[in-house]
Amino acid sequence: MAVLRTIAAGLRSLFRRKTVIREMDEELGMFLDMAAQEKMQKGLSHDDALREVRLERGSLEIAREAVGSAGWESVLETFRQDIRFGFRTLRQHPGFAAVVVTTLALGIGANTAIFSLINALMLRTLPVRNPGTLVELFHQYPGEPAFNGFSLDSYKIIRDGNHVLSDLLVDSPDFFEVRGETLETQKVIGGYLSGNFFESLGLRPAIGRFIGAEADDLGHPSPVAVVSWSYWKSKYNLDPTILGKQIVVNDTPVTIIGVTEQGFAGLLSQEMSQDILLPLSMEPVVHHSSLGWGSMWLVGRLKPGISIDQARAEMAVLFDSAIQAPDVGPYVRQMKFKMELAANGISTPLRQMLRTPLLALMVIVGLVLLIACANMAGLLLARGASRRHEMAMRACLGAGRLRLVRQVLTESLMLSLFGTLLGVLIAYFGVRGILRVITSGRQVVGLPVHIDAFTHPDTHVLSFTCVIAVATALLFGAVPAVSLSSLLAPGLQQIARIGESKSWRRFSKSLVVVQVALSTVLLSATALFVGYVSNLRNLDLGSRRANLLLVSLDSSHSGYDSQRWSGLSQQLLAQLESLPGVRSATLSETTPMSGTGASSMALVKGHPENRREVSISFVAPNYFRTYGTPLMAGRDFSSSDQGEHLVAIINQTMARDYFGASNPIGSYVTLDHITLRGDDTPTYEIVGIVGDAKYNDLRQPTPRTIYLSAYQEGRIVSQVTLRTDIDPEAMISAVRQTVASVMKTVPIGRVQMMTDQIDASIVPERLVAILSTWFGALGALLTAVGLYSLLAYTVARMTNEIGVRMALGAKPSDMLWMVLTDALWMVCLGMLIGIPLTFASKRLATALIDGLPVQSPIPIVVGIAAMIVIALCASYLPARRASHVDPMVSLRYE
Amino acid sequence: MIIRGSRFQMPEKAGDLIQGTLDMLILKTLALESMHGYGIGVRIEQMSKGVFRVNAGSLFVALQRLQRSGLIRSEWKASENNRRAKYYVLTEQGRKRFNSETREWERQVAAIARILEA
Repeated sequence: MAVLRTIAAGLRSLFRRKTVIREMDEELGMFLDMAAQEKMQKGLSHDDALREVRLERGSLEIAREAVGSAGWESVLETFRQDIRFGFRTLRQHPGFAAVVVTTLALGIGANTAIFSLINALMLRTLPVRNPGTLVELFHQYPGEPAFNGFSLDSYKIIRDGNHVLSDLLVDSPDFFEVRGETLETQKVIGGYLSGNFFESLGLRPAIGRFIGAEADDLGHPSPVAVVSWSYWKSKYNLDPTILGKQIVVNDTPVTIIGVTEQGFAGLLSQEMSQDILLPLSMEPVVHHSSLGWGSMWLVGRLKPGISIDQARAEMAVLFDSAIQAPDVGPYVRQMKFKMELAANGISTPLRQMLRTPLLALMVIVGLVLLIACANMAGLLLARGASRRHEMAMRACLGAGRLRLVRQVLTESLMLSLFGTLLGVLIAYFGVRGILRVITSGRQVVGLPVHIDAFTHPDTHVLSFTCVIAVATALLFGAVPAVSLSSLLAPGLQQIARIGESKSWRRFSKSLVVVQVALSTVLLSATALFVGYVSNLRNLDLGSRRANLLLVSLDSSHSGYDSQRWSGLSQQLLAQLESLPGVRSATLSETTPMSGTGASSMALVKGHPENRREVSISFVAPNYFRTYGTPLMAGRDFSSSDQGEHLVAIINQTMARDYFGASNPIGSYVTLDHITLRGDDTPTYEIVGIVGDAKYNDLRQPTPRTIYLSAYQEGRIVSQVTLRTDIDPEAMISAVRQTVASVMKTVPIGRVQMMTDQIDASIVPERLVAILSTWFGALGALLTAVGLYSLLAYTVARMTNEIGVRMALGAKPSDMLWMVLTDALWMVCLGMLIGIPLTFASKRLATALIDGLPVQSPIPIVVGIAAMIVIALCASYLPARRASHVDPMVSLRYE
Repeated sequence: MIIRGSRFQMPEKAGDLIQGTLDMLILKTLALESMHGYGIGVRIEQMSKGVFRVNAGSLFVALQRLQRSGLIRSEWKASENNRRAKYYVLTEQGRKRFNSETREWERQVAAIARILEA
């Protein structure tokens, strides 16, 4: 009760302030009157009576103040005053406020942006029951990233043989072409689910029902579908009559039976929502595949009390038996089993690809924030020193030290608040920009990104931002507060002279030194990353990358068989080559750096011991001429190969590995695969050798590669590559017309420059390079501002001294040098600290990104040089001002 | 000129009040009859025969505190010379508190007296 009354009374005096004050005044007035009346009755004059009362009872103003500040609400009231006062002061110094708020906003914005990506990709948990017990299953081929993609047979063996998982869920992802009575034909991501999927995840339908156990009965496909909530919203406007509607998925009609609850859209969580979910039994009907290796994502749920290590041990044994099945190829047999916790959703290429770059960037933005803090501390310190007269005056008027410190802290907090708000805005757009880099070129390894999932506010991100905002406010805000305390400590007489004290100067300088040190690290890192990426971009591909246009044809619904396709495609290539501006055109199954490829085991006749893995590329004639890959010996494929015995062209690496110095032309090689013509383990005659060309990864050495004739094998190859004499961009519309006229039923998929495809294959590196350039520049700019403002302040303070020196005969150039030497000292000291830090952080960088050329001294040299140039630019203006001081003016100054 | 420390002065030379006793004295005054601020001050002075002189700041802070803890309440009434004045009235809770505090006080005083006499 008492608490409630206290709160109520406090609120009353906060919100009915005027009434409360009036009542207080009236009461005190009465008090004074009554006391004075009594004195006057004893014969004193009115004035004397009032004076007596004040002496006896104390000043009534002080009484009113005392009553006002006794309640809890006075804290808020003071805070309100501080804020109003803070606003006024900041408005009087708009430049200062703008610099501090912008600095802070950039620091906080950068951190929030990177953190929200980390959060979306690594921290957010799936909206399902007990996400902590979910595990993801992988297999891993030596030297390759782990991959969650199992076959139906291995799934059954793992499901039935294990004792550690309470459930094993299947999500077999697929792209669907969906149409319906109210829907236009559209590509939608979906998947086939096992019957226990929804139940095990503890999900409930928003409406309708879910797919149940019947999904696992592959013999009896049930043509039903569950759609995601977001699909229901965007396509059906949340209309409940969606239940029972039919949609056509890849030409198969299915009935919608339910909608998932809001927020759940498959196990990929943030990056990709699976909008149409079918029972596993529909896979053979819709996709016509045999559910082989790579087709199924497997996610398990650990039994209670089973640790992931126990589960790994048992599952590894089980997996080994699964890959010993007789029909399993040699490639699969080398695979190892892996298992990881999957509370955040299953790992995607995007996630694997971005993990380390994001962590590297988090370190970088952390450094930027530190620089920003040091910078702002310096600015506030200089300002605090220039405010000492004001503070002294306020102390004289009765402000306690605590009160002044509180006022200064409130101002810091306000700056921090504005900076944070602006920073959140910057982060929002920053994340979008970063995602544009990530999704540039190659379609994020096949996955569209849901940008909203990344920018969507989230408690993790909000609390992170709040924590860094408060931490920075305390870091830089404490500085002026502490300096203020020391300012007031010795008493008023000396206040005017403090501020230029030695310790103050030393502290300001050390702040700049810290900034220089951190900037040197940042700039060196930037130089390192940028150098690395530009090396990657200019790497010798074994082909000429400029003026290559990649056009991908969608042959899946053309209705052409391979015979017809080969005829039409040769006609298409001929027509394309006749276009003005096109030098040559070719077709292939995949294009270099596209993220897809094939491989097989190869055996050379006569060398049974030499069984190795080779990468396979199915190409049409003219492939090498189009890509600019030199033919070293033998001949290219030709259209006359069709129907003849099988021929192959190998690259130099393969020739060297198998044949050493002898001539491979005319030798025979056997591959461990089945041609579309039906030859099992076919044998090819080697008819040519070509120069090494990168296959799928710029960073890796060129693999042994065998090129096979697409036409000979009866492959429907649909990636067109054109070498043009002019800007490939200008060719696009002509190419589209030609394709449409030759192949009427074939739509064009992606059209892309080879250079863009290469960029897309090095997204993580580019991301780090682009962002570290930005952040490095930002850090350097902040440091420059810090150095500049300290020097400018010093020169302004020293105007008098400079004037005296000049009057005594110092030359302007002496003054210029004095300031520059001062600056250079700080820079050199900063570098002395920064260079060892840089060496230490190199080790971190190698741990994060493989193959980074950290041994090279160039990045550090570049970083140091850039730092010196920046420092000289920042100190030139103050130095020039020092050299232009007019002795007469400056001597009159004080 | 700098005013250091707290901005309201605690009781003056004419006999410092032991911390917390002001509240009890106010309650005692109001237990006799409801009273306005000045009256309370004067009454305490009179009853103590001029030993305690209550300063306005301390008095009104104490009144606000007592009011917020529900021991007293206030009402505006006409004063003896017919002006509007704020009168403080002891509540039931205040009376109970006063009784218990008086007993506690007497117990302590007796104990201290015994120690001093020993």
